[in-house]
Amino acid sequence: MSELEKKKTEFEARIREFVGLPEGPPYLCPDAVNEAMIRHWCDAMGDQNPAYLDADAAAETVHGGLVAPPTMLQSWEMRGYPMHDATRLLPQNNQRKLHAAFDEAGYTGVVATDTEQEYARYLRPGDRITAETTIESISEEKATALGIGYFIVTRSVFSDEQGEEVGNLSFRVLKFKPAQEAQAAQESAAAPAKPTRIRSPYGHDNGWWWEACQEGRLLIQKCSGCGELRHPPRPMCGSCQSTEWDSIEASGRGSVYSFTVLHYPPIPGYDFPCPVGLIDLEEGTRICANIAGVEPEDIHIGMKVECMFDDVDEGLKLPFFYMVE
Amino acid sequence: MALRASDLRIGDSHEEVVVHNLSRTQIVQYAGASGDYNPVHTDEVFATKVAGYPTVFAHGMLTMGLSGKMLTNWVGDGRLTKYGVRFVSQVWPGDTLTSRATIQEIREENGERLVDLEITTENQDGRAVVQGSATARIDA
Repeated sequence: MSELEKKKTEFEARIREFVGLPEGPPYLCPDAVNEAMIRHWCDAMGDQNPAYLDADAAAETVHGGLVAPPTMLQSWEMRGYPMHDATRLLPQNNQRKLHAAFDEAGYTGVVATDTEQEYARYLRPGDRITAETTIESISEEKATALGIGYFIVTRSVFSDEQGEEVGNLSFRVLKFKPAQEAQAAQESAAAPAKPTRIRSPYGHDNGWWWEACQEGRLLIQKCSGCGELRHPPRPMCGSCQSTEWDSIEASGRGSVYSFTVLHYPPIPGYDFPCPVGLIDLEEGTRICANIAGVEPEDIHIGMKVECMFDDVDEGLKLPFFYMVE
Repeated sequence: MALRASDLRIGDSHEEVVVHNLSRTQIVQYAGASGDYNPVHTDEVFATKVAGYPTVFAHGMLTMGLSGKMLTNWVGDGRLTKYGVRFVSQVWPGDTLTSRATIQEIREENGERLVDLEITTENQDGRAVVQGSATARIDA
């Protein structure tokens, strides 16, 4: 098992411990169902139903008085945004702890994907609601348009002061590693002054290779079917069509098969002139990378080179091939 | 006022424009009303510079609520028993949304008459933003 797979196994074991756990003790919603919040909600929805807003008209309906819109169910348990008390935003319950574990592992994105609600009865002003939320399931790792991630389903059951269930809902979110664009945007927002390199496409099929680079290791994908080496990483062997693969660590030694020196246009994040080479690795496959530590006019085909990893931007190490003669 | 089984046929539908030219203000109103203050919905600088979106976008639950307004307007007070949606694509400021419920089944369960509905809400370009289903009690 590779280092990367081991890390993933450990992470998955950690998140799966949360499945089946309650978010915390039963949560008594902070406010009784009330007319003011119902009015604000209806304003936001453009809903003018008198059953929610006009006590006299509501008295004439099947409810015999004001009720809350059924789709407000979840809003009664929302915790708000207490700016004066940051401790209330800390991961003090299991759901927040679970999200924190995802954040730590780089799955910082979150998006709601679907919800399903059941209404046993409509709520009335004065109802005190208790919510009990359970972490119901966590999916396998999925590749999505937003990035690689996991779907988390929580289920909340709402009951009144008599302990009668008034409704329940399930809520599914995707916790994901933001794909390229968003990450680049985050970085440029943090340090707009210094241009950074355009990141290479990073996804399910090649993420492992780039992550090894961050640890200073140059890996080569190796077909488990026929043993052929291949680069760049891809899901299927071009020789035998096997989708089973492993990887070996390259020595980093090789020779220049071909090269070019870029002068124009100057792309932000690179130094110019910028030598780019095709390097034949001694293990027997070819890789495209920058050539460094030598004047561009001294580079020649067949030149012996050795790989070293340099920090090009914060959090980005890349392989550079240095002349060894 | 409620729907009557004797008036309904499978395939019957009801449609409403649930929001016209959605404003950023309405999204902020929803954040306050629901208690969901995620800044991707309310803070233009955060949404664009940090999260990398073209602008702020509506909460999924706002679109669910807007579509729910169409439902409760049609099925009548106190009739909705079940409602679920998938958030299919994002809803942006300026969007005009039309919600439609279509009858899938009319049935009886525990002595109650129920109608199962399919829900679709589309934006001005005809693109679905939420899709789902609902169940409501109806009269005979």
